[in-house]
Amino acid sequence: MQSGNSELKNVEKVMVPITPDFNWSVGNYMEKFFDGLKDGKFMGVKCPACGRVYLPPRMICERCFKKMNEWVELPDTGILESFTLASVKVDGDGELRDLQAPQLIGMVKHEGADTCLVARLEELEPGEARVGMKVKAVLEEVPEGVLDILSYYRPYE
Amino acid sequence: MQDVAVVGIGLSKHVSKRRDVNIAELVYEAVSAAYEDTGLSPHDIGAVITGNMPAFEGVNLPELWGAGHWGAYNKPLLRITTGGTTGGSVVHGAFYAVASGIFDAVIAIAFEKQSDGDTTMGLNTVALADIAPMLLYGADPTLLISMGGGAIGAVAYQATSYMKSSGCTTHHLDKVAAMCRDNAAKNPYAHLQQPGITPEEVAKTKMMEYPLRFGHCCPATDGACAMIITSGEKAKKITDCPAYIKSCTSCSDEGAVFGLYGGGTANVDPCEQEGCKIAAKKAYELAGIKDPSREIDVAEPYAPFANQLLMFYERLLLCEEGGAPAVLDSGSMYLDGDLPVCPSGGVISTNAIGASAMERVAECAMQIMGKAGEHQVKKEVHNAVAHGWGGALNLIVVAVLGDTPRG
Amino acid sequence: MEKKVAVVGYAQTRYEPDSDASREILVLEVAEGALKSAGITRDDVDTVITANNDYLDGRTISNMRLVEPAGAWLKDESKVEMDGAYAALYAMMRILSGDHDVALVIGVGQASVYATYIPGIMTLDPTFDRERGLLNEVSAAALQARAYMNAYGITEEHIAEVSVKNLRNAALNPLALRQMPDLTTDEVLDSRMLYSPVRELNAFPPSDGACGVVLASADKVPGITGNPAWIRGVGFSHDSYLTERPLHKLESLKLAAESAYAMADIADPKEEIGLAEIHENFAHEELMAYEALGFCGQGKGGELMQSGATRIDGELPVNPSGGALSANAACAVGLARITEATMQVRGEAGERQVQGVTTALAHGQTGPCAQENIVFILGGE
Repeated sequence: MQSGNSELKNVEKVMVPITPDFNWSVGNYMEKFFDGLKDGKFMGVKCPACGRVYLPPRMICERCFKKMNEWVELPDTGILESFTLASVKVDGDGELRDLQAPQLIGMVKHEGADTCLVARLEELEPGEARVGMKVKAVLEEVPEGVLDILSYYRPYE
Repeated sequence: MQDVAVVGIGLSKHVSKRRDVNIAELVYEAVSAAYEDTGLSPHDIGAVITGNMPAFEGVNLPELWGAGHWGAYNKPLLRITTGGTTGGSVVHGAFYAVASGIFDAVIAIAFEKQSDGDTTMGLNTVALADIAPMLLYGADPTLLISMGGGAIGAVAYQATSYMKSSGCTTHHLDKVAAMCRDNAAKNPYAHLQQPGITPEEVAKTKMMEYPLRFGHCCPATDGACAMIITSGEKAKKITDCPAYIKSCTSCSDEGAVFGLYGGGTANVDPCEQEGCKIAAKKAYELAGIKDPSREIDVAEPYAPFANQLLMFYERLLLCEEGGAPAVLDSGSMYLDGDLPVCPSGGVISTNAIGASAMERVAECAMQIMGKAGEHQVKKEVHNAVAHGWGGALNLIVVAVLGDTPRG
Repeated sequence: MEKKVAVVGYAQTRYEPDSDASREILVLEVAEGALKSAGITRDDVDTVITANNDYLDGRTISNMRLVEPAGAWLKDESKVEMDGAYAALYAMMRILSGDHDVALVIGVGQASVYATYIPGIMTLDPTFDRERGLLNEVSAAALQARAYMNAYGITEEHIAEVSVKNLRNAALNPLALRQMPDLTTDEVLDSRMLYSPVRELNAFPPSDGACGVVLASADKVPGITGNPAWIRGVGFSHDSYLTERPLHKLESLKLAAESAYAMADIADPKEEIGLAEIHENFAHEELMAYEALGFCGQGKGGELMQSGATRIDGELPVNPSGGALSANAACAVGLARITEATMQVRGEAGERQVQGVTTALAHGQTGPCAQENIVFILGGE
């Protein structure tokens, strides 16, 4: 947090310039998810015991503690479970900076899935977003990396 | 106090880079192994106690994303992280959770996926607290880090001080490293396995910072450990040979090297380890052990560097100060000796930092339960001591285990 | 649980946006303050548990530099990396084991030293959500608020009423950061929009501060105080990751409360609890908490708020201290709730004292969308 207090008497502040790099292994399940996205597919995984479908996929069903091996291709459409209109974003200093234009963020449950994906919502006015509306995924034509493939969701009838 | 016992242990593979699994999935391997070891499932567990050292993966509170893989869904969960001693601190948390009577069965989980981050950078951040004030005076952080050189720099000071006070020579360091790496070759879960390695071969490895050669230093490992810990009553129904945790103690002798404002109030001799002596004394007292040098059958001190195995052997009161090199020379520390030390190969052979202090306890439990396979020590094991070390230089955890409950 | 462990001393710093002190000084202040409050010295303490977070501290092994100011030098010391109420839980378990009698528990947070919302982003799934730049603890809370509002017809006015109640209460708390004695719902609804429906006055103010408590075993209590706050019950639980659970209810808080009530022998919380200190990082969380804690039926949180029952002069006052909406020093928040509940039970809450409180509830949370929750039930003699 930026120090608003320029009259500190008892302490000095010092910035420690350390920027570590991380390189997380995503694991085979997320790799398959990303490979699916490259082909325009939403690959989820299904629990053999309770039938819950996880998208993005996980290795283990947390409710049954069972490994999941059954892959399910899910449609690119789903229901908007929640949304928010963002007036701010977190900047590089970790503070909330005003956005030039507000942006819709949605939490979407694809048909057949039991978990959600979070992405931007576009091609609609902020006032048009409604919990329960049907939405369709739009994939980036030329993504920079795997994380950019899922671009946004748009309304769909 | 309700008796506390280890009934099962699970370990993941321990290697330098597990690129085939993410953090949550790596830990699952250890957790599922522990359940398989005992025939139990998450239904039988009342709480999850977990920890790691987050500087290495750069993930804050990884259980929030990953604990669904560890059987923690809708369960009480407690996160304990204390740096290098984390694994031991997690065991302490599990011990108290059961000893308190609030839970009858818990699972303790500790891990590190060093390959997801930069181990050197992670270790250097340990010094941040001390470096920060120095920056006020214009010191250059990269220069400071290159002077001390992270963990190995600090331990080099510790090693030379120990060598002066105990008469330990570099040949003793070579022997310790060879003993551990040879033990590790009998441990399927160890990382660096060097069967038949000799002290002479260790002595030829590259000098890192005097007196520490490459062969005297631990690796960086991806690995996870899980332990199922229950009340004494419950343990008897699960296994014929529970390993009772008789006592858990710690003693923090950590002080800012440069003091709160650069005043300098702390320990200047990192081989003193007063906290270890105090924690060990208390642990033996609680466990009803009057003469540890006779009554302890196996020791797993936390020694990522060869000098520390000897130093901590003394600080754990297993012999008089300065006496460990002679004990090593006598042969007593080897697998077939009177008081084997690090039959697992120790941290010098396997170091997934967050897990390492827990693995010391797990290895002691395995020795008591007779489940250490090829690296099972020759003598009968009734009591064992496990130890963890960390902080900047002075955080300590100790656990005494035995084949009977605390008397 | 019978009378086995009690809170016998406490201290809090003033909560400020930028304290003119280091974390060590804040911790020293509450360590000394809590010991003084209990009338004991460092020599009487067997174990010290701190609550802090490496990324919030900006230093690995964040307990390391707190050993000295927390009075933990040469003591059996450990740390939980969660909200401070969990440190109190751990200290309590140490005392119940019989191996320790007196514990000092300290939680600290100093928002002015870290990049405020980045540690929260660092808890996200590193394989997907974290680097996509959409989720953080505030946007996640907004998604939860919307799901909750949609599920039960809760309105922004209901939520604003929580802010009004708590920030007006905070004017009675000299330690609070955000004291707004004349706040109205209109002002709340006019405050800076962050992520709809969450506005600045519906969200916690990142603060600097610390809190400490002294716990003692039943054997030691009589020698320390004739006015202990006994821990009658505790429960805690961990829920799924935020994209993998329904966000419109706080299941883990419900489970935590059930455990705590069972341990404390409480059959009807609405009747038997005199006062609650809830850790509400966001105003809507308090409404959701009413439901999870059994103070009202599922979906009825807004109605309960409007009934006035949870105002400081109501039948079940909630957050007379001002809660987290008035001050949020990261790992100290839940411990501050325990402290405030203790003060109420002991009759030491000054201007914010509610009369005749014999049983109080204190709550702490960790993780986005209140993923992990812990509940304490405290009672007087």
